[in-house]
Amino acid sequence: MFSYAFMVRATIAILLISPLFGMVGTMIVQKRMAYFSDALGHSALTGIAAGVIMGIGNTTVSMIVFGICFALLLNYISRKGLSSSDTLISVFASCATALGLAILSRGGSFSNYSAILVGDILSITVAEIVQLIALFIIILVFWCISINRLTAISIHATLAKSRSISVRVMEDAFAVLIALLVMLSIKWVGILLINALLILPAASSRNISENFREYTYLSIIFSIFSGVAGLFVSYYTDMATGPMIVIIASVIYFATYIYGKDR
Amino acid sequence: MLRKTKYLFVLLLLISISVVCTCGTFFYVKLNNNAAASDDLLIMTSCNPVYIATLNVVDGIDGITVQNLSQPTTGCLHDYTLTTEDMKNLSKADVLVVNGGGMEGYLEDVIAAYPKLPIIDTYEYVEHSPGFDALLLAGEEGDHEHEEADEEHHEESEEEHHHHDHGENSHLWMNEILYNTQAAGIVNGLVEADLGIDENVLLSNLKSYGEKLETIDKQGLDNKLKGQNVAVLHAAFAYTAQSIGANVVATMDLDEERQVSAGEVSEFLDVIRDNDVKIVFAEYDYGNAMGKLIEEQTDAKVVYLETLVHGSYSADDYVKVINENYSKINNTL
Repeated sequence: MFSYAFMVRATIAILLISPLFGMVGTMIVQKRMAYFSDALGHSALTGIAAGVIMGIGNTTVSMIVFGICFALLLNYISRKGLSSSDTLISVFASCATALGLAILSRGGSFSNYSAILVGDILSITVAEIVQLIALFIIILVFWCISINRLTAISIHATLAKSRSISVRVMEDAFAVLIALLVMLSIKWVGILLINALLILPAASSRNISENFREYTYLSIIFSIFSGVAGLFVSYYTDMATGPMIVIIASVIYFATYIYGKDR
Repeated sequence: MLRKTKYLFVLLLLISISVVCTCGTFFYVKLNNNAAASDDLLIMTSCNPVYIATLNVVDGIDGITVQNLSQPTTGCLHDYTLTTEDMKNLSKADVLVVNGGGMEGYLEDVIAAYPKLPIIDTYEYVEHSPGFDALLLAGEEGDHEHEEADEEHHEESEEEHHHHDHGENSHLWMNEILYNTQAAGIVNGLVEADLGIDENVLLSNLKSYGEKLETIDKQGLDNKLKGQNVAVLHAAFAYTAQSIGANVVATMDLDEERQVSAGEVSEFLDVIRDNDVKIVFAEYDYGNAMGKLIEEQTDAKVVYLETLVHGSYSADDYVKVINENYSKINNTL
């Protein structure tokens, strides 16, 4: 399996992406932001569309810029409290998806971009792996510095504020982090499945964890395991890698759900 | 104690999944093992038409395995994603034969991953063949209904995404003459790749296949439809029309992801009416709904043809399918 360069690259990519998903996913589940990350994934289409309109050769750049703007705008409007956050996210996600589809499908050319729906980790290049390493370092540093403050905010925002934690800055920074992770890994994972990979390991871990440390560690273990096992099975059975990873992550979720329920 | 039980559960869960995955994969691989003999020359092809042409030009030569990249059930190649099996096969391949002309959107990934793999681009060969290059058609954007979109699409073509309708219609295999030239391109590429295949046998096979292609019966359509206006619901059929001398006045390239606007449909129907189009060529899967609408709204009849992207992957498939296409057109007139 590792005699093929593409499999070595895909394995390295999985080993870089999956612990990040496991780690960031814990906070997404904790802060009930599953819908938010899903909306961000869908907005990738608009990011690509913006890149195409502006003639940007590398659409990853336009996706990242659009994703960060989208996340910050969503946070800003949510804070205004004019409408419930799930309604707002739904409106934003639908609008962004429709806009992206409308622009990309003009002249019937959406099929050019349909590969991003399911992703393709096998075609990852060395330069893109370097991008993922940079992302890995950024998220790890952010996590080490901010995890306590993020946890405090997720438990009680007002209490966190009283402890001189800048809730707004932390929430925005975390949203930007999710946008970076989603946009940089969406080409390899696909719009349809990216949220499953973010949520499932953390949700599985939450089913059986008793404290935050255990929650994080188990989530990372589940995520790496699903990623590697999914890649292994997809390699030998010739099935798409992303769906296979999600199937394994789902099995883990149901098993932990049954175990956690009976405790 | 409880924590220990939990960790034991996690360990058992992960081990169980690993065992099930390993066993399941093992049996799956056992059941589906159809690998080529390892000492054979492996010629990979990108789609059914070039696969059939390659099969015919290497016919009877020992020690060659021809294998197609995509599974037999997949559709048009523009949005095809390479599977792990494809990547494995490509790493073992001695040469890759492609249709070209932007048809294979993944080609750049293949070139990046396997820079030493020789690629035979049949479209490029036709493009550089004097006399045949003039037969190559423009894509949908070259037609009347999308002229205004040309400039915008030009920007897109500079993106990493490529599509066969960006300026060129790469379904050239639908014209037997161009298909024969593609086969000649394959022979030329195989000789240039210096794989040790006997050139004389290749040329003799090419000649025999050319003779087979000449047996295709156009059933007099090149007289009946010569100069007549037709419309097509798939870019591939523009070459069918070219082969029988018909004049394509409207093209709407429908596929699984094509969404047409109401304005586009009405404009298409107007062109059919204004140009007195009597017959429209369509592919059943994606053109059926539009075909019904055309028959309802105009006097034109719609005939559903095959594009050869799907097929039985046998050496005689091309001649059989093209003959069937001409029979269907003839029966509709």
